[in-house]
Amino acid sequence: MYRYDSIDKAIVEDRAQEFRGQVSRRLTGEITEDQFKQMRLMNGLYLQLHAYMLRVAIPYGSLNSRQLRRLAHIARTFDKGYGHFTTRQNMQFHWIKLAQAPDILDSLAEVDLHAIQTSGNCIRNVTADPYAGATAEEVDDPRVWSEVLRQWSTLHPEFSFLPRKFKFAVTAAEHDRAAIRVHDIGLILHRNDEGELGFEVAVGGGQGRTPYLAPTIRQHLPAGSLLSYSQAILRVYNRHGRRDNKFKARIKILVAALGAEEFARQVEAEWARIVAEQPDADLPAIELARIRGAFTPMNFETLPPRSAAFDAAKAGDRAFARFVRNNVKVHKQAGYAVVEISLKAIGATPGDISAEQMDAVADLGERYSLDDIRVTHEQNVVLPHVKLDDVPALYAALEAAGLASANIGLISDIIACPGLDYCALANARAIPIAQSIAQHFADQDRAELIGELKIKISGCINACGHHHVGHIGILGVDKKGEEFYQLSLGGSGAEDASLASILGPALPANRVPEAVDQIVERYLALRQGEERFLDTFRRVGMAPFKEAVYAEAH
Amino acid sequence: MKVLTANRLTDGEVVFWRGGHWVERFADAEIFAADDPAGQGAEAVALGQPTVVVEPYLIDIAEGPAGVAPVSYRERIRALGPTNEPEHGKQAEGGAAIEALLAATGAARSTGRVDLIRRK
Repeated sequence: MYRYDSIDKAIVEDRAQEFRGQVSRRLTGEITEDQFKQMRLMNGLYLQLHAYMLRVAIPYGSLNSRQLRRLAHIARTFDKGYGHFTTRQNMQFHWIKLAQAPDILDSLAEVDLHAIQTSGNCIRNVTADPYAGATAEEVDDPRVWSEVLRQWSTLHPEFSFLPRKFKFAVTAAEHDRAAIRVHDIGLILHRNDEGELGFEVAVGGGQGRTPYLAPTIRQHLPAGSLLSYSQAILRVYNRHGRRDNKFKARIKILVAALGAEEFARQVEAEWARIVAEQPDADLPAIELARIRGAFTPMNFETLPPRSAAFDAAKAGDRAFARFVRNNVKVHKQAGYAVVEISLKAIGATPGDISAEQMDAVADLGERYSLDDIRVTHEQNVVLPHVKLDDVPALYAALEAAGLASANIGLISDIIACPGLDYCALANARAIPIAQSIAQHFADQDRAELIGELKIKISGCINACGHHHVGHIGILGVDKKGEEFYQLSLGGSGAEDASLASILGPALPANRVPEAVDQIVERYLALRQGEERFLDTFRRVGMAPFKEAVYAEAH
Repeated sequence: MKVLTANRLTDGEVVFWRGGHWVERFADAEIFAADDPAGQGAEAVALGQPTVVVEPYLIDIAEGPAGVAPVSYRERIRALGPTNEPEHGKQAEGGAAIEALLAATGAARSTGRVDLIRRK
């Protein structure tokens, strides 16, 4: 894991100190709310419905136990004893007091954490595959390049006031666990036919009111050119992005307006200029080596591929066997597993984790996962390096902490934004809809029978709940002051990315679980072989599902 | 009928205007008749208190089955707390005033919020 050097530490400490001064000046009236708002947002502090909300950056979703314990401490000391993991691998605290925010930033800085650039029209926290360093699929460790981007983009003078926010996501695996195609820049590490490491560069994806999947503008960018090429993309965007219209200011609108080919042409021309005029635009090899050194392969033990203890527990405990089927994934190292911890217990708020649970996960990560803990964009947690021998004991400890829900990827593993229960932008609540659907499908056997089905819920068109890429997407809308929910089908944020299509007229809240049930039943009736819901939908189209949900209305 | 609301600067707490100062409970808020210029007057005073509150605005309220409550559910959630955590926010206190807010079912957009957005 990357450890801050003296420069990183100084940046974060200075920023916390600077923010203390800004808060002080706001409280005394030296600066206005309009002036202060830009400053607090650049430090991740929002004013929401009931209190301030602080969004803490978790670079590429990677934490150690010390950092997670500190987040637990902040939840206990400054919030109401819990935190909320977001779809960008960050953590939000929903009950923050402005006067205490500087103390929180100081506390975060002590463990190399901060809230810089978790809001504002700048380059936001870089997200990545939560299985990085643990999956055999990857050609290189995406955390190395995510960290390069983090350092480059932090307080970047040219890109601190972009037309709109800007989000990178990085993966090095074929299986996309980072929603690459719905980011402003999605980077897919690969090796070309010559075996050279490089990136497929996708630009202009995003959700919100105008969703787009990012087209690839360069099939193979030599890895060492990542920064100069990113600079070229950002520069073209900075030059032509629509600053006159907030709703058309994201890079996706520019790419769509110019066309991917023309956008790519302009980027290539800008890149050529940068390379010619700015020989230090890319990272020197020595600095790249320093960063890479922080992610050297773990000291895995040499173990047999099978574990007698693991196999015995699986044979003797049905609940454990279910946990293994759904939450335990293949690791690159024989004798190890990737273990996903679901934050989607039936009836719970998706992504919420109590301070006690944070402490428990920190302890378990330290004990069983080489002190390595990850956050997923699906609002769950991952212990990436667990010995198969240890999985039964880990499962028992998770059960004791209320964290053993065996539903990863199933219908109750729902993404939901905070919605109108917390968010000042929301039109409708998202959390209670997620809870009611999860409760409706609480039968674990039925959930497994249904198989992979990703429901994603947003409380407004900004789409923080990723509804555009849900197998079933649900968007909360305000219909003459009442909460209604528009269902969409057929989206995917994975390697088979697609945007969902609207099913039909929006439904009242109490109709949503029933409608999802009707969709599911129709799918089960139509399913062929091992098809997932998404496969069946793509084969048969919208009509049968529309008929299932709206038949009564005709 | 209208009530003046805002978020308190120091902690973001939802507050309501009552006779020249701010209170935390909706039940304690001063109620202005819809055509009473005193409501706009209070809002003007509140706008001159930038070190006390953020974004003051008037909201519509109406008589519900158990007492007055904000017309929009957004404002009811502000006056109560998040619906997924009944122990968080003002609703944790319980009592008749909270029950009255929970019993309200009317639906309308938060006109005050819309006005605020227009003002920006």
